[in-house]
Amino acid sequence: MSEEKMEREIDRRIELCQQFPHGITDQVIQNDMPHLEPQQRAAAINKLLSLGQLDLLRNSSGLLYRMKDAQSASKMKGSDNQEKLVYQIIEDAGNKGIWSRDIRFKSNLPLTEINKILKNLESKKLIKAVKSVAASKKKVYMLYNLQPDRSVTGGAWYSDQDFESEFVEVLNQQCFKFLQTKADMSRDSKQSPMVQRNSSFATSHEVWKYICELGISKVDLSMDDIETILNTLIYDGKVEMTVIAAKEGTVGSVDGQMKLYRGVNPVIQPTGLVKTPCGLCPVFDDCHEGGEISPSNCIYMTEWLDF
Amino acid sequence: MTAQEVRLCGLLLREHFGEVVEKVGTHLLRSGAQNLRTIIHETGLPLDLVKKSLCVLVQHGACNFRSGRKGPGCPTEYQASGDRILRILRYPRYIYTAKTLYGDTGELIIEELLQRGHMTMSSTVKTVADRLTQNMEGQGRSMDYSEVTSAFSKLVETQFLQRCPPMGGARNTKDSGSPPTPSTPATPGTPASTALLTPESFPDCYKVPHITLIGRGKRRHSSDDGEDQKSAKKAKMDPETHGDEGIYWQVNFERFHLHFRDQAVISAVANKLDQTCSEIVRTMLRMSEVTTSPSATCTKPLSANEIFRSLPASYNILRPILDQYLTLLVDDPMEFVGKAGESGGGMFVVNLHRALANLARATLESAVQERFGSRSARIFRLLLRKRHLEQKQVEDFAMIPAKEAKDMLYTLLSQNLVQLQEIPKTPDYAPSRTFYLYTVNQLPTARMLLQNCYKTVANLIERRLFETKESKRLLEKSQRIEAILASLQVSGAEPEQLTEVEEMITAPEKQQLESLRLHINKLDSAENQVDETMFLLEAYVSSTATSTA
Repeated sequence: MSEEKMEREIDRRIELCQQFPHGITDQVIQNDMPHLEPQQRAAAINKLLSLGQLDLLRNSSGLLYRMKDAQSASKMKGSDNQEKLVYQIIEDAGNKGIWSRDIRFKSNLPLTEINKILKNLESKKLIKAVKSVAASKKKVYMLYNLQPDRSVTGGAWYSDQDFESEFVEVLNQQCFKFLQTKADMSRDSKQSPMVQRNSSFATSHEVWKYICELGISKVDLSMDDIETILNTLIYDGKVEMTVIAAKEGTVGSVDGQMKLYRGVNPVIQPTGLVKTPCGLCPVFDDCHEGGEISPSNCIYMTEWLDF
Repeated sequence: MTAQEVRLCGLLLREHFGEVVEKVGTHLLRSGAQNLRTIIHETGLPLDLVKKSLCVLVQHGACNFRSGRKGPGCPTEYQASGDRILRILRYPRYIYTAKTLYGDTGELIIEELLQRGHMTMSSTVKTVADRLTQNMEGQGRSMDYSEVTSAFSKLVETQFLQRCPPMGGARNTKDSGSPPTPSTPATPGTPASTALLTPESFPDCYKVPHITLIGRGKRRHSSDDGEDQKSAKKAKMDPETHGDEGIYWQVNFERFHLHFRDQAVISAVANKLDQTCSEIVRTMLRMSEVTTSPSATCTKPLSANEIFRSLPASYNILRPILDQYLTLLVDDPMEFVGKAGESGGGMFVVNLHRALANLARATLESAVQERFGSRSARIFRLLLRKRHLEQKQVEDFAMIPAKEAKDMLYTLLSQNLVQLQEIPKTPDYAPSRTFYLYTVNQLPTARMLLQNCYKTVANLIERRLFETKESKRLLEKSQRIEAILASLQVSGAEPEQLTEVEEMITAPEKQQLESLRLHINKLDSAENQVDETMFLLEAYVSSTATSTA
């Protein structure tokens, strides 16, 4: 009799949960089936939980029970509690993935168990391992169908965990050439100096469009990516940047500002010190008169003098 | 004085004044102020040699004397100034500047004064006129004293020359009004005034004395009678005074330095912006030449109207265009020119200290770039801009692969161009719990590069001396042969004898001589180039020193 009752209650409960997709509290169940005793209620809930059809959550007012999707319920059939726990932890990590040591901390399971479970889950194609770009030996785990976050894969500049320095160099050159030709054209136009300077500026949006149209990039580049490339040109001393206020809605403006870039010439010629061999000498500190390395027998100087 | 500076000063003294002066000079530089007895005792030289070397040093302004520190009865103490000796390296630049500004006359005046140290105006004028006349021998003219005098006065007006501070008598202390007593610097035994007074503290510093000097330059070989008579008369009249006894003149190095600094700023503006902008800055600097003090942060404000009126006539640009150029200059990130107000169409100043800092920064960046490559230069510039960065951030901003970035950072760190700043998270500086930030400090790095420059110039000079010593035998031989050739030509020999003498030098020896000459020229010009870097860095370091003082 109690078995039948249990079955009926379970069904009833499932119906209730389906009615309230956000979850039902203990209170609601009590209101619904007031004739049940708390023990039986608890037993029924436990059965549903072990079947994997209910999710136990907690909110500010107490415990919540929520129906799990039939799909995800079926996924976990055949796996035991530990695996479910690990799976849950990985799911919580979301986009960024989680390292195996962190899984161990959160679940308090021994390392061997964790490894076994992870291998199991991977073979079931529920999770995947992604190599992190920051530390090449580290592997983070995330759900199979999730896209790894930019911080893990490194974004547009990394392909398969390798920094694409040639790609960056090529983009560097192209942006610089674009800005330089723009500056030269404006200088040759011989108009009034203000107009000249303003026409030699290019917004980051223009540079982005130019690079996209050039088509040298297999990956889609965003405007932020182009701005990082332009920043490296600034650090090379070839380009300067100003920020101007722009109307919201003009193309390329971000928060009412636009960044303008312009090619510039270097301020001084290479300094006098580096025109001598001493300025570039790798053993400069060891050189003194009367020693092994001295100005009198310096081979760099001999070569330089005969040049 | 650092060891490198002392070494360089020693080499310069040896080249220009000989080994004895070098010994005395380096001893004084190393040990500070000393009296005569101590110098004799410690250098081991005889008394008269020490006296003569001190004379030479004082004559050139490299050594000062004052009464002893321990009380009025103490013997005088002598102190060498290393800065003044280092200026010797820059003499060619001074002479060249004078030539561009004031022509051959100015060039020779400056050259004479640099060689002699202190001279009276009349003797300078006479010597320069004589030299110019000798140069003009072929044209049959001779140089009038008045032309030279006017060139001299022009130099004094623009403050390139100044009077030497007069030495007071035994009892005089800071008496600026006392008439200049003709105690020539040739007697270092005379106690002088206590404080070291700068030439500018005397009101007559730039006043040209009224001298009576009429005549023309003398030729070396006076061939006609008229000249003979005149020169005989001149010789009789030589002891006559020209009205400026005791007033000695010296070259005002500070003024030349200001001129070099202005030139550096103008060429930087021309490189960065364009020719017209540099002309505008040149006009502004010229207008503030005598109104701005040497250590000022920026020039006195000039209104746009004034600038417009003072532009050279060849640049007839319209007023609105000038305004646009000025706005461009103000907006430029290098901040050469700043706006100081709105009256008179806009008041503009030239930011001297900031310009010097920018130029010094560009020098540092160029040194790193040439030595370590453009990627290291990128990291260096990045750190200069962003001050403190972690290693990961450096890699991200510079877009350089992690391994290479680490390598470059460590190389820069080992050369002391980049410093590491530790910020601990916990009171014990545990390495895993501290932030390590990379940073570049511009001023100490500039000082370090300056010391490297001193060492480089010393190396170049030593190499030059070494090359000369190696080929000494060959040089002597070639000199002998030249002397023989000259004497044969004067005494009218036949061409065969001349060719015979010429062939005493074999072809490979000629080649060796030629290559030696090329080497020496190269080393010389390299010294001048490094001196330009030295000047920029010294100007920057001294500008920061005055602004913090």
